[in-house]
Amino acid sequence: MPAHDPTTFQETEVHPTAPFTVHRSDDGRWYTVTGDCPACHGRTVFRVAHGVLGPLKGRWRRRDAEPEPLTGAIPVYCQCGYPHPERPPESPDAGCGAFWDVPVPPATPPGGAP
Amino acid sequence: MTDLAKKRAAQLGQQLQADQLGAVRRQAEGWRNGLAGLTGLVGAVFVLKGRESVAGMPDVWRWTTAALLAAAFLLLLSGALKAVRAAHGQVGEHTWLSGDRLFAAVLDEVERTQDALASARRRSVTGLCAIVAALAVSWVVPVGADEGKKADEPAPGVPRVLVTTQKGTHCGRLVVGDGGGVTIERSKGPGKKDSGRGPGRLRIPAAEVISVTPVGRC
Ligand SMILES: [Zn+2]
Ligand SMILES: [Zn+2]
Repeated sequence: MPAHDPTTFQETEVHPTAPFTVHRSDDGRWYTVTGDCPACHGRTVFRVAHGVLGPLKGRWRRRDAEPEPLTGAIPVYCQCGYPHPERPPESPDAGCGAFWDVPVPPATPPGGAP
Repeated sequence: MTDLAKKRAAQLGQQLQADQLGAVRRQAEGWRNGLAGLTGLVGAVFVLKGRESVAGMPDVWRWTTAALLAAAFLLLLSGALKAVRAAHGQVGEHTWLSGDRLFAAVLDEVERTQDALASARRRSVTGLCAIVAALAVSWVVPVGADEGKKADEPAPGVPRVLVTTQKGTHCGRLVVGDGGGVTIERSKGPGKKDSGRGPGRLRIPAAEVISVTPVGRC
């Protein structure tokens, strides 16, 4: 793993070269995206949960039914946790500011992805 | 190309994710207030506009009203409890407060909150419908419908007269009595003391009248 590079904070879209792992939780309710930030090379973990604001689920579909698998890409931003110079104090970021898309692999059984 | 909106949306998503339990609790609180207001309103209408008492109603309607009100009470009570539960959480639920467990527990609680809220809404609406039905029953069912069978008989308090003539007696409501004679209106149905014909007005010339006696009923 390459050393962390304390780049200047900059909100730019980057294109990762190294692959990211996208892991769906056992109950299928959240995805964890793990990999190295393409900009600062810090390891970053990004979690996306299935939550409110979704379409109303039918009354007969109980909560045991797990949510539809996510398709497309997950926008991920760097949360390497390292301090980066010139990061505005009001920014909710915990990284270098870079963000990128991680494609979601085709649906696998929840938790089955190695 | 940098699409900052995409990043802002992702940031908003992370924020919502952290605060979704708070968000649904606030939503549930609003709903609880709304439902409580609605219930109070309908209850007030029932108290103000409902019939004073169900005593005069026929038994079957009295029991219907009582059953509707009892059902409404249970539904509204459980609905209110569900709404409070949605807004403030269940007492006595425990989980390990470790990161992953808590994350899953929050997602669970969000779903339970929304289920409780949906159930509260259903119960309140059904309970309100029951109250309105009880109200409608109390308005529509006539007072003393039980006495409907006796409706043909003179209602107490309406004076009747018994007119005795040389040919027999006539009974009915006194319409007019003057020097020329007595007019009575006979009620429908054969009166026990009435020797006359069917209902309608009957003019009895004064010459035939022997006596006119007020009676309670014919
Ligand atoms: Zn970094
Ligand atoms: Zn970074």
